[in-house]
Amino acid sequence: MKRFVAVTLGILTAIGGFVDIGDLVANAEVGARFGFDLAWVVGVGVIGICVFAEMAGRVAAVSTRPVFDLVRERLGARAALANLLASSFVNFLTLAAEVAGIALALELASSVSYLLWIPFTSLAVWLVIWRVRFETMERIFGLAGLSLVAFAVGFWRLGPDWGSVFHSVSHPVVPSGEGHATYLFYAVSLFGAAMTPYEVFFFSSGAVEERWTTDDLNVNRANVLIGFPLGGILSLSIMGTTALVLLPRGITVDNLAQVALPTVLALGKLGLAFLLIGFFAATFGAALETALSSGYIISQFFGWQWGKMVRPVDAPRFHAVVLVSLVLGAMLVLTSVDPIKVTEYSLVLSALALPLTYFPILVIANDPDYMHGRTNGRVANALGSIFLIIVLVASAAAIPLMIVTKAGQ
Amino acid sequence: MSEHVGWAGRPRRLRRLDAGLSLLDRQILDRDGRLSGKVDDLELTPPEGDGSGPPVVTAILSGPGALARRLRGSVGAWLESVHSRLHPSAEPGPARIPFGVVKEIAATVGLSVRKDDLELSRFEDWTRDHIIGRIPGARHAPE
Repeated sequence: MKRFVAVTLGILTAIGGFVDIGDLVANAEVGARFGFDLAWVVGVGVIGICVFAEMAGRVAAVSTRPVFDLVRERLGARAALANLLASSFVNFLTLAAEVAGIALALELASSVSYLLWIPFTSLAVWLVIWRVRFETMERIFGLAGLSLVAFAVGFWRLGPDWGSVFHSVSHPVVPSGEGHATYLFYAVSLFGAAMTPYEVFFFSSGAVEERWTTDDLNVNRANVLIGFPLGGILSLSIMGTTALVLLPRGITVDNLAQVALPTVLALGKLGLAFLLIGFFAATFGAALETALSSGYIISQFFGWQWGKMVRPVDAPRFHAVVLVSLVLGAMLVLTSVDPIKVTEYSLVLSALALPLTYFPILVIANDPDYMHGRTNGRVANALGSIFLIIVLVASAAAIPLMIVTKAGQ
Repeated sequence: MSEHVGWAGRPRRLRRLDAGLSLLDRQILDRDGRLSGKVDDLELTPPEGDGSGPPVVTAILSGPGALARRLRGSVGAWLESVHSRLHPSAEPGPARIPFGVVKEIAATVGLSVRKDDLELSRFEDWTRDHIIGRIPGARHAPE
């Protein structure tokens, strides 16, 4: 059991990246519109985030430096500030959406409007950050989020024709009725969701919070290789269930109930119960991840004391940033702006800022001053370089595709 | 900033460091290992005596006052004006950490003094005294 809970940091990080409120709906929407024709992007994204999260975790374990320290040191003050502004903006939009996402999960369970839940959900997120130990927090929400495995069970119970599923995954085409630009727009969004920078901010800062050392490099690898593929499988399962049930009937997805529909069809009430717990835990986990990340990156840029490993009075600026982000986030979604739209836009913006985060990680992971003999091997450098190119292409394509396709309409 | 500076932190072995690469933008840790700011800039002084030869690093400059000058442009000017408006003295310079208290330069820059003894923590103290310290539970580590 102790070995198993050691990987909850990776699981929580991946859940926040792959199945937060925006991705829950985006994955279902992609399945309902494109079937299995975009599944390959999730696979590519999983490999990419594994490569860079492993490097970030290794740097954090060996040198105790989290990712935004590396960004500042390798990009210098000006470019790091540009990254800080872009990443904080994405973080903030995602946090706001997650606070509403928890409320949407509660609305689904209680039929009480999500707007009424928002003050309570944001307060609950703050209380957990204020009072709960990092390890306890990551175990509760990481493990509870695993109940989303109901999607995978649901997909299996829906009895897909596995041969044709494998064929359409391995021979993707742009479905008739969808333009090439729209297809590419969703590809960039899915890739951006898999590689959102707050995952590496949170993962590497979490490694420092848990005081990883060089002895924990195996724990790092296990976290990465279990957490992110699991996130990818959940993401693909959602896509699969809507591809099997909603696509043939021409139903498109724009809310959480429709995301659950195919799985509930397959598994009944018990399935719904698991999904409700999973929605709650995943959105709550993503809210914790993004709220803490805002505090982490701003503190790390300025060199302030940060983290939950010290008393709040010893990291007052860090806690002030978290508190202000939560209050502003709650105010943003209380305007009744559509939280799912908010995350869709933030995903595209995050694709734009990706290279500024991943380039410094690759450089420092090769710096012997930091790594004391634990620098990248050839495989990590080859994969890292390939993915840096993919990241650059996705980053350059994000905004033009958004404009051309009117954000995928 | 790309000037090479010799540094005699380890008396037995002199190391050659690129100040721009190995000092600038690094995390500063105080004597007790607490995070105490970034190396936002360096103070260079002409050498003593006849003033010939390369300049000597005499202090680390840290905090918004130093960062503002690095950033330049409108963002830098804005940060500088915020810094000088919130600072008690009329013409505040950037906060200085004399180079003599630097005891280690590695992935981080280690100091031989406590962070409370440096003139860096006014904003931190204010946030603690007026916001975070007033919330119940602020003085307990999370459970």
